[in-house]
Amino acid sequence: MAETSAADPPVDLLDRYRLDACLSHGDLWLRYFELGGMDDALELEAILCGAIRPSAHDREVIAHALNERFVELGRNHPVPYSQSDAYRPRDKSGET
Amino acid sequence: MSRHSEATTSCRVPCCRLKRSQRSFWHPRRPFGRRPIYCQLPLVVAFRLAPERAAGGSDAEVTAPDDLLGQFAITVGFARTRAVVAIRGQADRVNAPELGAILDAVIERHRFVVLDLSELDFINGWGLGVIAARASRLRRAGGTLTIRSSSAMVLRMLDTTGMAELVRLEHPDPSLHRLGAEQSIEIADAPEPYLPPSQIPRITAIPADADVVDGALRLVVALARVTVGGADGASVSLRRHGRLSTVAASDQTISDMDASQYATGEGPCVDASVNGRWFHAESLDVETRWPAFTPRAQALGINAILSSPLLAKERPVGALNIYSRTAMAFAPKDQELAAVFAAETSLVLSSVGVDVTDEQLSSRRSEALGTRRVIAQAEGVIMEREGVEADDAYSILCDYSRTSNQPFRERAEDVVASTRRLRLGTESEPGRSHHG
Repeated sequence: MAETSAADPPVDLLDRYRLDACLSHGDLWLRYFELGGMDDALELEAILCGAIRPSAHDREVIAHALNERFVELGRNHPVPYSQSDAYRPRDKSGET
Repeated sequence: MSRHSEATTSCRVPCCRLKRSQRSFWHPRRPFGRRPIYCQLPLVVAFRLAPERAAGGSDAEVTAPDDLLGQFAITVGFARTRAVVAIRGQADRVNAPELGAILDAVIERHRFVVLDLSELDFINGWGLGVIAARASRLRRAGGTLTIRSSSAMVLRMLDTTGMAELVRLEHPDPSLHRLGAEQSIEIADAPEPYLPPSQIPRITAIPADADVVDGALRLVVALARVTVGGADGASVSLRRHGRLSTVAASDQTISDMDASQYATGEGPCVDASVNGRWFHAESLDVETRWPAFTPRAQALGINAILSSPLLAKERPVGALNIYSRTAMAFAPKDQELAAVFAAETSLVLSSVGVDVTDEQLSSRRSEALGTRRVIAQAEGVIMEREGVEADDAYSILCDYSRTSNQPFRERAEDVVASTRRLRLGTESEPGRSHHG
């Protein structure tokens, strides 16, 4: 599974978004888990703290979990997604 | 500027100047929670105005002769978690802007403010207007403005103007606040949770591990035991799985004390936990409120008990109990310190979600598992339709959700539902990507 690239926003930015969204680590983990995240709560906290580098997929799930929270708060998806702001289908070689 | 004879350097209060040496009190510290608490240093700020202020009053304004009044002065100090603003002299049109600016600066950093009017000589509509505006703002922010005054005139003025509903009243003589043995009243000036409910993070998921919470509560008990004057022991009772239990206790005797209260169903600990009110038994020799429990406590050598409620998002979830072998052991400052501990502990309990019931938690987890299942099904549909891998299918769903501002679960449910409609031959394919 692809890891986040250097072009992605810094991981600790996610934790700042989490605080901005008034979510505890536990809150965010359950939302992440609900959206299909596979890491446990401790691993997610480590990702947010920058101790573990997330896969691109995990980062996308985290970003979307945060964005759904922001939508609840009346804000429009402020958290950038992994690699790009929109899905672009990959060709056979896996490049976007 | 000319009225500030002590002006030396810039300060945080817009209209006033502080001496450089007087600016050190803004340092934050964080004992337990995330909320900063500012240092409890003694009086460090003094604002004094020159006598020529009376010249600024309008003709229409009612003013009092200066020779009958003391010099206007405002002093700001800090007592534990509260800021105390003392006004001397007259609060009239001339002084109202200064008073307002200082109150604004204090309110910016403190949500519990005491306005000491015990040395106030004169107040008119200008002064009252300034105070009312700040009281209203503090109230909206979840704080409290307490008026400290023994003057019947001031109290009547507050009542007449309707301000009594915006503020709390406090007598300047602390001894009159001491709770008697026959009293069991809701503490009037106990520090409250500092954040209004809207600012406390919404608990939607899992509480912190019980071990972590218990560790924090053991620390609270240890600190309360050694810092509250007269305390011989302390404990924290918490409601878990529908019943009260002692989470932390300084020794076995204290634990037994709590157990006696649970067994008899009465006592200050039980009452504080259930009613969310502060209970103080000054001397069990004269205590009549808990006839079944009191003899048991006396048999264990306890003679005074102070129980402060622990609240999680304004709901009582337990109590901080402080016990003493000596009757009348808890002085007013000790009672206030116990209230501070309880308020801090409540803040911690709110943030870790102890009020989330097992049923709520179970329901939320079930909901999350259901959503995961739907998303996995939708991914499968898109993988089949688009011929893409799982991560790409997820990205397609995510993109749909983002661009349509539709919650992920709803989008996934639409995709899954589309397969049923397709089987009936009535629908195009909403899961089909339009990107490629």
